[in-house]
Amino acid sequence: MTTKEIIQRIEGEATLELDWEKNKITYAKIKFLNYRAIEDILVGKHLLDSLMITPRVCGICSHSHVNATILAIEDCYRNVGIDLKIGKKAHYIRELVLNAEKIQNHIKWFYFLILPEFFKISGKKLTQTEPFKDREWFEAQKALSDILKMGAIFSGQWPHGSFVMPGGVTSDPLESDIINAKNFLTLTKEFCEERLYGRDIEEFLEIETVNDLLKFDSTLDMAVTHLRELEFNKIGKSYDRFISFGKYGKINEPYKAIKTRIFKADEKFVSESLENSFFDKTNKGYTYSKSAVYKGDFYEVGPLARLMISKDKLVKDCHRRCADSVVSRIIARVKEIAILLKRCEYLLQNIDIKEKSLKTPKFMPKNISSNGVGIVEAARGTLIHKVTVEEGKIQKFEIIPPTVWNLGNGSPKNPSIAQKAIIGLDSIKKADFVFKSFDICSVCTTQ
Amino acid sequence: MKKSTIVWIQGITCNGDSHSFFNYQNMKNFAKNFEIIYHPLLLSDFDLQGVMKSNDKYDFLIIEGSFTKKAEYVDRCGYSFEELVENLSKRAEHIICAGSCASFGGLFRQRDEENITGALFSGEEAGGYWDKNKKVVNIPGCPAHPRWIADTLFMLREGREVLLDEFLRPKEVFAYFVHHGCLRNEYFEWKIDTKEFGEKEGCLFYEHGCRGPMTHANCNKILWNEVSSKTRAGSPCLGCTEPDFPRDNVYETKTHMSLPATPTGVSRRAYYTITGIAKSFKIDRLERKLIQ
Repeated sequence: MTTKEIIQRIEGEATLELDWEKNKITYAKIKFLNYRAIEDILVGKHLLDSLMITPRVCGICSHSHVNATILAIEDCYRNVGIDLKIGKKAHYIRELVLNAEKIQNHIKWFYFLILPEFFKISGKKLTQTEPFKDREWFEAQKALSDILKMGAIFSGQWPHGSFVMPGGVTSDPLESDIINAKNFLTLTKEFCEERLYGRDIEEFLEIETVNDLLKFDSTLDMAVTHLRELEFNKIGKSYDRFISFGKYGKINEPYKAIKTRIFKADEKFVSESLENSFFDKTNKGYTYSKSAVYKGDFYEVGPLARLMISKDKLVKDCHRRCADSVVSRIIARVKEIAILLKRCEYLLQNIDIKEKSLKTPKFMPKNISSNGVGIVEAARGTLIHKVTVEEGKIQKFEIIPPTVWNLGNGSPKNPSIAQKAIIGLDSIKKADFVFKSFDICSVCTTQ
Repeated sequence: MKKSTIVWIQGITCNGDSHSFFNYQNMKNFAKNFEIIYHPLLLSDFDLQGVMKSNDKYDFLIIEGSFTKKAEYVDRCGYSFEELVENLSKRAEHIICAGSCASFGGLFRQRDEENITGALFSGEEAGGYWDKNKKVVNIPGCPAHPRWIADTLFMLREGREVLLDEFLRPKEVFAYFVHHGCLRNEYFEWKIDTKEFGEKEGCLFYEHGCRGPMTHANCNKILWNEVSSKTRAGSPCLGCTEPDFPRDNVYETKTHMSLPATPTGVSRRAYYTITGIAKSFKIDRLERKLIQ
């Protein structure tokens, strides 16, 4: 038997085509059916115009895209022998703006998607977090808009700011701008402390075990407790293989992890498979999503991958108990909010406004012929932009978003990360929720 | 007063107008006045199938993303965009096009200009998905500012007059230029360009492609995320509320005989004369850093 389920509220929609045997899912085809051809639109454009176009891949992670694009452009310079030597201030501002977006993403995912879906599944109303109705939801909406204000002080706006240029950033903040940014950071931090974590961020960050996590009366504790009751700590498991190419914060180099063993990784082994997609010439394709693989294997990306690779104690304890299940993904993503908030404090404290925001390159890329790769860790995981440019015009632009790592399609013998997490489940409700535990962005998946 | 009802649907989109809207600063008050019956990114009592199958009338149909009649370009829960629009536009009192894609076709129109348009415009040309539809209000911008959407909804709900310009944009927002309230105005007055990106000083209009003096929007009056704007963050206005967005080669000012385009409504000869005079002043204060 085969059933088709439309999955909604994933920054768009997807269809899960599920094969069933004896009330268990034996295979799942993941179909993304909307496609905008942004990679094609980019061809023939002036290189710098990509800084305007790529943020429009995605309204929820536009600054991740613009960060990846600027790194790709600067790599183009590097590959013709020019090192632009980006200053510390520019690096910090880029990271700060990116982190604001990631914190927003994670809060939004938890309060706009996970909690409402989870209460739909459990049938119980356990918190006052109903969208557009309950106090805590409005507080969450305010908290995410506050952290975006912190970022917008440096990026001009969110979403779709364009605050980066070859050589640095365009904004030139004052000390008082930084004070203002710190104030907005404090507001979001206070919300997380009072509601989400139920304790100070510093105290929360010291928690090393899931048991210690559950000692408080907070929205996260409550969610994890009830998710365990519904056995989401046992389902949604995939290969237990992770990858992160982070160039920001704690992890500075590409690594992969197979369970808890960590190895160096290299971007050159990443490829995009067209198998099962409409782009495949066999005409057997059924989705616009390509699949990203590392040496031919599927790896999970995202906060769980990042925190496994950076050996976060709480996430490792959670992983020891319930591997790469739904609960681990949720704890990792919510924990990352606290890590990013602390990192923002550090960045704001250490931006030296006297430093130049941007060191203008000797030439703008008007006539450049080169190629470049830019990689960032976006909210949902590794995002790669690759550009080939000739005489200043884009010849080819490739965007590998995080979601094609997690949500591509393999084959029954070699299913993708999300397919593997869904195979074996016994209900559509569970499949839907497991799917959403990856934090899906359908617009990024099929640019 | 009963809450006004909203159904929000998407054509070819990046979701940017939704996420911009989620930053609205008084969402609690918004929720007291409006009920979102359906939004693709939010869990609500109705899903899309439920809305499509009902016969209810809605106060507002908000459409985000470019319009298309080509069925293979949009699939929303099994419905083509045309199916969604044909069904829902008839049952809505007002149609709000949120963002430049829905208003004019936007970035995604560049994929297929024949088949991807805005509601009533195809770029600058009149005639888009429809030739006529009196219910439509365009709120362009890439993305649209949350207040542009919310303020318009409140005004229509309260039965206040919403005056529109020739592109059906509310004049309250789009009678202004991005230039108004720009902190670099004095540099513009005296024709002093910013020397390089990354500085507070100087105007971005002469060399760096800024479209502020010809882009209709109140960005520098109400600010983005209540705190800033592109020009305040040192980045040129990209002209994203205009029907010709996105233009090519945006970070460079197109020049005519090495002179930039003139601001909207200003004669070229007069402008260049005044430019020459203004430049001759050489104001020392404006040549230096603002804070030294």
